[in-house]
Amino acid sequence: MISLNRASLRYGQILGLSPTTFELPAGGGITGLLGPNGAGKSSLIQLLSGLLPCSSGDVRVLGEEPYRNPAILARIGLVPEGDRFPSGLKGRGWLRMMGELSGLEGPALEAAIEKALGIVGMETRAHLRFNQMSKGMRQRIRLAQALLHDPELLILDEPFNGLDPEARILLMEMLRKLADGGVKIIVSSHILGEIAQLTDRILLLFRGRLLAEGNVAEIRELLDRHPVELRLSAEDARAVARWAVDQGELVGLRLEEGSAILAVRNPRTFLPRMQEAVVAGKLPLTALDPLDLNLDAVFQYLTKDHA
Amino acid sequence: MPIYAPTLPPRENLDRGSHPIAVLMRFDFGRVMKAKLGIFFGFLFLLILLIQLGSLYLRYLSNTSVAFSGMKDFASQILTQGPEYQADHLGQAVLIPMWFQVALIGGGLVARDTLHRIRPLIYAHPVRPQDYLLAKGGLAALLPFAIQLPFVLIPWAMSLMVAGKNGPIWTTLPLHLIPAALMIAILAGSVTLGASAMAGSPRAGFGWVLGIVLGTFALGGILAGLLKAKAFLAISPVALATAWPQLLCGMKDPFLDWVPTVIGTVAHVSLWIFVAAQRTKPSEAVL
Repeated sequence: MISLNRASLRYGQILGLSPTTFELPAGGGITGLLGPNGAGKSSLIQLLSGLLPCSSGDVRVLGEEPYRNPAILARIGLVPEGDRFPSGLKGRGWLRMMGELSGLEGPALEAAIEKALGIVGMETRAHLRFNQMSKGMRQRIRLAQALLHDPELLILDEPFNGLDPEARILLMEMLRKLADGGVKIIVSSHILGEIAQLTDRILLLFRGRLLAEGNVAEIRELLDRHPVELRLSAEDARAVARWAVDQGELVGLRLEEGSAILAVRNPRTFLPRMQEAVVAGKLPLTALDPLDLNLDAVFQYLTKDHA
Repeated sequence: MPIYAPTLPPRENLDRGSHPIAVLMRFDFGRVMKAKLGIFFGFLFLLILLIQLGSLYLRYLSNTSVAFSGMKDFASQILTQGPEYQADHLGQAVLIPMWFQVALIGGGLVARDTLHRIRPLIYAHPVRPQDYLLAKGGLAALLPFAIQLPFVLIPWAMSLMVAGKNGPIWTTLPLHLIPAALMIAILAGSVTLGASAMAGSPRAGFGWVLGIVLGTFALGGILAGLLKAKAFLAISPVALATAWPQLLCGMKDPFLDWVPTVIGTVAHVSLWIFVAAQRTKPSEAVL
C-alpha cells in the first residue's frame, strides 16, 4: 500500500529526510510515526500526502507516485498539525468546501458531511464558528474533513497536541474504529505513551533517519546490544545480585531496599536461566518487573545511540 | 505481527464535482461578501457614482435646457470635456478608493491561508498549485473589475436613456472603458495577489499592497522629476491604472504614453504573478 525506496527529501541545503526504505502492507491498521521535533515526521508526511516530490528515490502510495497525482490525493485524507482556523468560519461551511475540493457535490456532499460528523460525534455542533469551539471539537472537525471522501489512507500529523485526556481517549477510539473498518492510518506524534496504546506498527525517526520499524516488541528485538533494566524483588536482594553477577550478562547493577536493579545485556538468554534458577530454588525472587520495556525506553535507547 | 483489517472495497469515482478553481473562488467570494467593510466602501462608491450621474445630468441640461443655457460656457470651463471627460469615468475619484478596497480584501486572500496554514490542507486535495493561484488571482482581479463596471455602464445607460446617441457620453464608451477596466483589474489583482502572498497575515497583506502602491508612486514621481522623463512613472501601478482609460479614450495628453504603460503593466503583472507562484508552491506549504 505504501512503499518508500531510498526516498529522501531536501529543503534546499537542509536534509529533511535521509534516504529511507520501508513498506506498509495493504489493509487497515494504525502505524505510528515517532520521533522528536525535527526527526523528519512532517517531511515523511509531506511525501506520503503528495505535497512534495522526493528529492531522490521513489515513493509509492496506493501503488502510484502521490505527488500532484489527483487520483491518489482523492484517496488520502490528511489532518495536518496545528489548530488555526479562520475564526469567523463555521464548521459545516469549512467541511463543505473541503468536500467540494475532493470532488463531492449536492446530496452526496451533504450525506458525506453528515456521515463524517457522525463518526467524529459533531453532528449537533458543526454549526458553531471555530472560535466558539473547544480545541477538541476543532480537532474533530479536522478529522471529519479528512474523512469526507472515504479515504483509504488517513494521515494525521500530531493529532493529540493540546488535547485534554478525555479528548485524546475519544480520538483514539475513533481512530481504532476507523482502522477496524479497513482504513489505513498513519499517526505522527512525539507523545510516546499514547502512541504505544494506539498503534500496532511503529516507524521510529530521528534526525531525518528511520531508526527502526516494527511493533514495540520487534523494535525491542533490534536492541540486543542495549541493556534491559529489570527489577528483581527479593528478601535477600544481595543474593540475587550475586547470582546475576555470576551469569556474566550484566552491564549495570544497583541495589535498592528489597530489590536489585539489573541492566542485562541479553534478556533472551538471561531470562530463561533466571527462570530455571527460580524453579530450582537457587534464586529467592518475589517479583520481577521489566522497567524499560516500553516505548519511551526504546525511543531513548535508539535516539541516544544515534545522537 | 499486527492483524490488519480487510482492504476497503473500491470506492466510486468522485471526480465529478466543481472544478477546484470554482470551489476556492466561491468560498473566498462568500467570505468577501460577509465582510463588514463592504458596507462602508459600498456607500462610498455609491456616493461617487451619484456625483458622476449628477455631473452627467448637469451636462445634459446645459446642452439642452433653455433655463441652463446661460450656464453652458461656465459649465464647459469647470467640467472636463471630450475624451478627458469620458476617461474620467474611471478617473482618480474611482481608482483611489478602489485601490484601498482591493488592498483590504485582496491583501488577505492568500495571507489568510498562510496565517491559518490552510494551504497544505488544500494541496492535500486534488488541487494543483496553479488552480489555487488562478482562484485567488481570479478573485483578486474580479473585485476591482466589478467595482469599475458600474462607473462605466450606469452613466452610459443613463446618457442613452435621457439623450439617446447625442448624449454627453459616447455611445461606444463601454468599448473604450471596459478593456481599460479589465487592464486595471488584472494589474490591481496581480499586485494584490503578489503582496498577499508575501504577507503572513491579512493586515500585513494590506500593508504590503499599500506599500507597493504608494512606494512605487513616490519612487516613480522622484525618478520622473529628477530625470525629466514622465515614463518613469510607469513603475507605479497607480500611474498605470490612471493611464489606461485615458489611452483607450484617446486623450491628447495622457498621464503615460502607450509604450511605458504597456511595458509597465506587463512587467508588474509578470512580476507579481511570479512572486505569488513562488510563495504558494507546495514546498512553501510547510506542515
